[in-house]
Amino acid sequence: MKPHDAQPDRRNFLQHSLLGTAGAGMALASTSHVTVAAETQGEESPDATITNRVDVLVVGGGTAGTIAAIQAGRAGAKTMLVERGSQLGGTMTTGGVAFPGLFDAWGKQVIAGIGWELVRESVELDGGQLPNFAKVPQRHWQNQVYTNQFLYAILAEEKCHEAGVELAYYEFPQAAKRVADGWQVDCVGFGTQRRILCKQIIDCTGGAEVVGMLGFDRLREEVRQPGSMLFKIGEEHQPGREQVHRLYVHGADSSNSRTVTQANLTGRRSVLAKVRAEKKRLMHLQPETGFRESYRIVGETMVTVNDYTSGRQFDDAISNAFYPVDLHTKTGVRPKPLKPGTVPTIPLGALIPKGSRDLIVAGRCLCSDQLANSGLRVQASCMGMGQAAGVAASLAAQTGTTPMEVPLAEIHKVLREHGAIIPGKA
Amino acid sequence: MRRSFVSLMTAMTFLVIAVTGVLAFVRPFSMTIVGLHALMGFVFIGVVGFHLANNLRPLKRYLRSKWMWINLAVTAALTTAIALQPQPVKALLGLSGNLGPALDRFELHDEGLTYQYTPAPHYKLTLSVRMGDAFDPADPPEFAIWIENSSFYHIKTLHRPEAADNEASLPYWSFKVKEYEKAKLAAAAGVDVDAISGATKNSSFDPADYMLPVDPEEPMPYRILVEINQPGDASEAVDDQPSLIYSVEVDNSDPHAFQLLDLIGYPQLEEDEQPPQWAIYYVDQRFDSALELIDSALLTIDRDKPAD
Ligand SMILES: Cc1cc2nc3c(=O)[nH]c(=O)nc-3n(C[C@H](O)[C@H](O)[C@H](O)COP(=O)(O)OP(=O)(O)OC[C@H]3O[C@@H](n4cnc5c(N)ncnc54)[C@H](O)[C@@H]3O)c2cc1C
Repeated sequence: MKPHDAQPDRRNFLQHSLLGTAGAGMALASTSHVTVAAETQGEESPDATITNRVDVLVVGGGTAGTIAAIQAGRAGAKTMLVERGSQLGGTMTTGGVAFPGLFDAWGKQVIAGIGWELVRESVELDGGQLPNFAKVPQRHWQNQVYTNQFLYAILAEEKCHEAGVELAYYEFPQAAKRVADGWQVDCVGFGTQRRILCKQIIDCTGGAEVVGMLGFDRLREEVRQPGSMLFKIGEEHQPGREQVHRLYVHGADSSNSRTVTQANLTGRRSVLAKVRAEKKRLMHLQPETGFRESYRIVGETMVTVNDYTSGRQFDDAISNAFYPVDLHTKTGVRPKPLKPGTVPTIPLGALIPKGSRDLIVAGRCLCSDQLANSGLRVQASCMGMGQAAGVAASLAAQTGTTPMEVPLAEIHKVLREHGAIIPGKA
Repeated sequence: MRRSFVSLMTAMTFLVIAVTGVLAFVRPFSMTIVGLHALMGFVFIGVVGFHLANNLRPLKRYLRSKWMWINLAVTAALTTAIALQPQPVKALLGLSGNLGPALDRFELHDEGLTYQYTPAPHYKLTLSVRMGDAFDPADPPEFAIWIENSSFYHIKTLHRPEAADNEASLPYWSFKVKEYEKAKLAAAAGVDVDAISGATKNSSFDPADYMLPVDPEEPMPYRILVEINQPGDASEAVDDQPSLIYSVEVDNSDPHAFQLLDLIGYPQLEEDEQPPQWAIYYVDQRFDSALELIDSALLTIDRDKPAD
């Protein structure tokens, strides 16, 4: 298909996906109809490439990216979010890890803000229950919040829409380069070519894909933690309320389409073998492997496992984090809880690729060693980082500077205005 | 002294010693019983002295008989056997509610208390609890110390409170013990209970199995808990501060010689649960002096590599 053949569809893809998901669900249950709204997206360039000019471009609409985009939008930045998949939420929704944690530590909430707002609202809308943070869980992870992944994804879209964030699904950056007043990022999707001119990039791809594309250093372990394919065999279940099954996909690698294809094939093959072996019905299968680990940036600051387990209060801390050190290996996992009272913090420097300007990351690709990362990568922490990155990037865009040079007090002020908890001041 | 008085006195003090001896064996450690046993022992020694004085002549005759040698041999053999504690003797001692596996010692002193457990010669566990400013030796708080497995099942009480009414003062420990009794019964009846199944191997109710796991590849993590309560200790917010729970986790695959117990919270009844459960909650502003009952609680594990 020639690019211009697809023009009308391209214009409307956002509304299509926004409403299409809800519409499909309703259509199954009733005869309700939804109509795709027709609104022009972006500017048409002569070579059939859509061009968008924005303040902040968020790449990757996963756990961290969704929050980063909503925050940047709410802070007044013209924001665009490019996601290679079909929905928001990333590991939470497409991967099926719909039990975000940990928002609390030692009886107190330590991470709040937009991530918590979204999680809380999706639980409330679903008639679910939020954990009582005053109660000591027998294990840390018992205070994770069981969330309906489907609702979460739709609510996230609604919040993006309200914050003025433009969404682009099925697209990913193909090339990126510096231009006079920021970045030019060329994205492709099926039937779509998009040029995005932005002042700031927030890379929330999980594996710091854009950072790598721009030629900044990244870290990667020889042996990464396994990914997991989540599924359920047996009887019918209530999504989000019951734990699904999962099996380790060793060697899972989220670096590129070939390795992701391989991981998905391996995961699904194993599920099929299990279904055959157990002679039960397959009730649920996530569309994609959940990846635990891939590239991390080489940042201005590296969070080490000692920083993490000692609860180091970084001078430029922008968010709290909380989870045991949780390294998954071939022999399984033995979480190492943090000492009572310890609440690790995340420094802004760990989100900034070393030597970069106008570029920030959020999510599991922050600069940290493997053990620290095994605790930092959890969802509430990713959301906290996402929100902070959203603030730093939008302030940098507004003042014509780079995230690292935005005064920390300013970042804290805006974060506080948007409900986030600042380390040490909880 | 009058023969009849001495004889009756000997018989009666003996009766007290015998009964307290049996109780000390059967029942968990009690200061009253052991104190009575020991002190009455001294009285008994005195009375026996008079008794011997009254019966010197027959005694001399006995000493000269061949029974003297047989008696001596039998007593020496029994003493040696019991002192060396070979397996059957150990098993017998293990039946005692107080001596347990005959491997633990509990001591209350000016600074606080020390508990020692030595399940093997190369393994010594010591729990030293240092009492804080709010601890009044004249009116000591109630407390219990126990071990739980990784499924949070009570395995062994190391120290139990003296008061009969400990369900009110130490509700969490009482609840755990009751759960344990039920689990033990269920296990005996062959029912699969969490205490002896689950993710981690938890197949035992014997504390020694957790401290000296048979298979080092399959260590059995456990935790030690202390519940302490000073009944009726008012704070600004309440008339009676609830009990507090301290705990430490011990991971035999990653052993530490010293570990401090951490305050984890206070117990609260969850009435909505069916049946109602006791859960632990983080301490809140209701607590002041209760936090000062324990200054610190240190767990020390002394272990040498066992001889192969
Ligand atoms: C099986 C499993 C169990 C876990 N258990 C827990 C748990 O119990 N509790 C907890 O809190 N956390 C848990 N985690 C960790 C946590 O879910 C993740 O670390 C976290 O969600 C990562 O967030 P992120 O935003 O960095 O990445 P992701 O959520 O993975 O988001 C990355 C997004 O970027 C998109 N993307 C990637 N590359 C590109 C590209 N080039 N262009 C455009 N888009 C791109 C992806 O499609 C995705 O949407 C678990 C993870 C796994 C896999």
